[in-house]
Amino acid sequence: MAKGKSCLVLPFLFGLVGALIVGWWLFPELLYSKKTQPIRFSHKVHVEDQGMSCDECHSYREDGSFAGIPTTEQCAECHSEVQGDDPAEKKFVEEYVEKGKEVPWLIYQKQPDNVFFSHIAHKGIKCTTCHPDVGHMDTPPVYYEDRISGYSKQTMKMWQCERCHARRGASNACYVCHK
Amino acid sequence: MGLDRRGFITFLVGGAVGTLCTPIPWKTLDDVSIWSQNWPWIPKLQYGKRSQVASVCKLCPAGCGLSIHKVGKRPVVAQGNSTHPLSEGGVCPLGSCSVRLLYRPARVKGPLKNNNGKFEPISWDEARRILSEKLSSGKAACISGDENGSASEVLAGFLSLLGSEDFYFMPSDAQVSAYTWSQMGGKGQIGFDLENSDYVLSLGADILSSWGTVVRNQKAFATRKGKYIYAGPVQTGTAAAVDEWVPVYPGQEGVLALGIAYYLLKMGKGATIDGFSEVKNFVLSKYTPAVVEAKTGVKINKIKQLAQELVAAGSPCVIIGSDFGQGSGSFDWTSGILLNLLLGNVNKRGGMVLLPEVKVVESAPSRASLSKNVLGEFLKNVVSGNKKIDVLMVYDANPIYALPQALQVQEAFSKIPFKVGFSTFLDETAVMCDLILPAPHFLERYDDAYTPFGSGKVIYSVAAPVIKPVVNAKSTPDFILEVAKSLKKDLGYKSFEDVLKAKASAVGADFEDLLSGRTKVSNKWVGQNQLRLSVEILANGLVPDTEGTFLAPVARNYLGNTTQALTPTEVVVVRDSELKGRDLYVQVNRTTAKKLGLKQGDKVKLQGAGREFVGRVNITETVMDDTIAVPLGFGHEAWDEYVRGKGDNVFKVLSVVTEKGSGFQVWNKSQVKVVRA
Repeated sequence: MAKGKSCLVLPFLFGLVGALIVGWWLFPELLYSKKTQPIRFSHKVHVEDQGMSCDECHSYREDGSFAGIPTTEQCAECHSEVQGDDPAEKKFVEEYVEKGKEVPWLIYQKQPDNVFFSHIAHKGIKCTTCHPDVGHMDTPPVYYEDRISGYSKQTMKMWQCERCHARRGASNACYVCHK
Repeated sequence: MGLDRRGFITFLVGGAVGTLCTPIPWKTLDDVSIWSQNWPWIPKLQYGKRSQVASVCKLCPAGCGLSIHKVGKRPVVAQGNSTHPLSEGGVCPLGSCSVRLLYRPARVKGPLKNNNGKFEPISWDEARRILSEKLSSGKAACISGDENGSASEVLAGFLSLLGSEDFYFMPSDAQVSAYTWSQMGGKGQIGFDLENSDYVLSLGADILSSWGTVVRNQKAFATRKGKYIYAGPVQTGTAAAVDEWVPVYPGQEGVLALGIAYYLLKMGKGATIDGFSEVKNFVLSKYTPAVVEAKTGVKINKIKQLAQELVAAGSPCVIIGSDFGQGSGSFDWTSGILLNLLLGNVNKRGGMVLLPEVKVVESAPSRASLSKNVLGEFLKNVVSGNKKIDVLMVYDANPIYALPQALQVQEAFSKIPFKVGFSTFLDETAVMCDLILPAPHFLERYDDAYTPFGSGKVIYSVAAPVIKPVVNAKSTPDFILEVAKSLKKDLGYKSFEDVLKAKASAVGADFEDLLSGRTKVSNKWVGQNQLRLSVEILANGLVPDTEGTFLAPVARNYLGNTTQALTPTEVVVVRDSELKGRDLYVQVNRTTAKKLGLKQGDKVKLQGAGREFVGRVNITETVMDDTIAVPLGFGHEAWDEYVRGKGDNVFKVLSVVTEKGSGFQVWNKSQVKVVRA
């Protein structure tokens, strides 16, 4: 009986540990593909070297909506021509400014269309509470794309929104975010 | 030690327990649920800065000012421009669809060449080379559907330089009125000062639904100073809204005008026109109340009452027009104009006014002289061989669909060896052409509208492109200027934008102001010399009716018009009493249905002009006795799945007669034989 018992414990443990390794290490490796931004945009160059402030590019419009990432046209106000010798800037000017195309930036916190998120309603909260702290980075962080859902790994889930709302005493009624 | 069956199962159990303690099942389930909400065909919102820019609608000749809402660089919604005098913030059902029409499946995606029935894409350079070559050695003609834009002026001017006078507008009340007025010795474009009138009698013109400056008419009606009366065979949007609907047999509104004129003459009213005494005697002897009652179906007392009310009004206005915006003749217009003259309200506040014409392309003939060119006559001459044309250019028009006697039109087309369609959409005419050169949607091009027909004021509006063309389209007048250059013909302008700048300057407006949505408005009226009128035209109303039931085509903006088929957006607003499945409903009242032995839902054939129209019967009291009403806008054979094969085209059974004294082709008095299908 004792011999039989020990024979069952080991396979169980093997199965359990194996599954835990697969689930917590291999599964995330397989689930997310790693992507880089189409242009290696350096916040560091703009913020530290050029002394620009965040809201020069990421500003609120007159109607209170958030402009998000600047358009190619806005970038071209300075980069209508190649200014330095950074190959990323050259690529940006040649492939996007000259062709009048928008850069397909990868948005780390992109929410689905059925989520109405107002930046101006969250103005008092630090940007980095939700967004990666890219302000001083020379190279944008790797973008992890969920192979199944297509969203970024960093995209905030509804429970995170609700938790923060609950902690701050904000309403968690459906229509607050889903119009 | 080996792994036996029990051990293996235990391993699996361990694995299952372990898996439950990992993100695998929970994350996968969550991701799959999100994945299932993100199918590639679900449109994604495109964010951007919201803004509004001004434009001018060119989907019909009303020339309404639009305010286009944009998100980023994309237009998203069209609203009426509140500062534009022809829209005052209003928009019609067709105009409200204008943004979505940018993406209509039937759009021509780029220049196409017909290679033995198969359309092949070509470049614009090749298109220019082919057209230049054809025009350099052949006689050219042009049909235009743009009755108030400078693009038509460029095309007409180009034809003149090529030595051709064969420029034709698609038939419309604007054309017939201009022709009639010039034959009477009148000058300027006829307009109606509705805003200042205290009694408006609309004879046929469906002013609140489809005729003339529709949105402006509605605004004037909303702030009316007096009564509005509509005379026509069907309870249209106008008939339903105005103070009184006077049912009149289709196309007999001119006779009613003369019936009213009879009473005015009896009251001693007169007009200073050559041949007045002859006209007076003719009307008093031929258009007696009994004759008019028999021809129009309007009771004598009602005719008398209308005459008395018009005389009692301070500033009456009589509007004339075909029930469906086309097919009227000089008789209808002469009768209506005579009525206005007898009322003494010509070039008077609140009456019929005459507005000046402006032309900036030197080689282009005046609009008054272009209005003498009758398209139907031209097509007849092409068929008979009296007119030989090598190249036909069609701009913003769909004559194959929107003209009566379709077989004759098709035959004329087949006799012209080379046809070019400057069309935004793949319509019935475009598919018969040898070259299809896509015109940009009006939101993608410079365009203008000078004093749309029906307006009571001179109004000039210009619009700049709101978006870059979403297909490989090119502004037609700009392309024509390029072709002219290659043929060494000088129209005096390098670009169409320059033409518009010149026109702005000619009307005394600032071009940039116009682009920002402001309009040039002027109350200048054209003074008249001695007018003349012959009784020969007036005799047309006495021609006996033929056999059959009166046919009343009905134009409704939400069903499209002669150049724009029912829009994909408006498919859902087509009523069950208009179209069910693929069957179109014809409308008759209970008395007529009983007389014809018809029941609700019966399938019937309307026979006229040697062809047949098929539809189902809908019994409704919105149509007068002995009349069968049929909506226009169905029976398309081209375009896209939203309209193709739905219902039948009533143009097929409209009978055309040549009017005595004017030579105009008239088809607003058609009669059909109704038989069960």
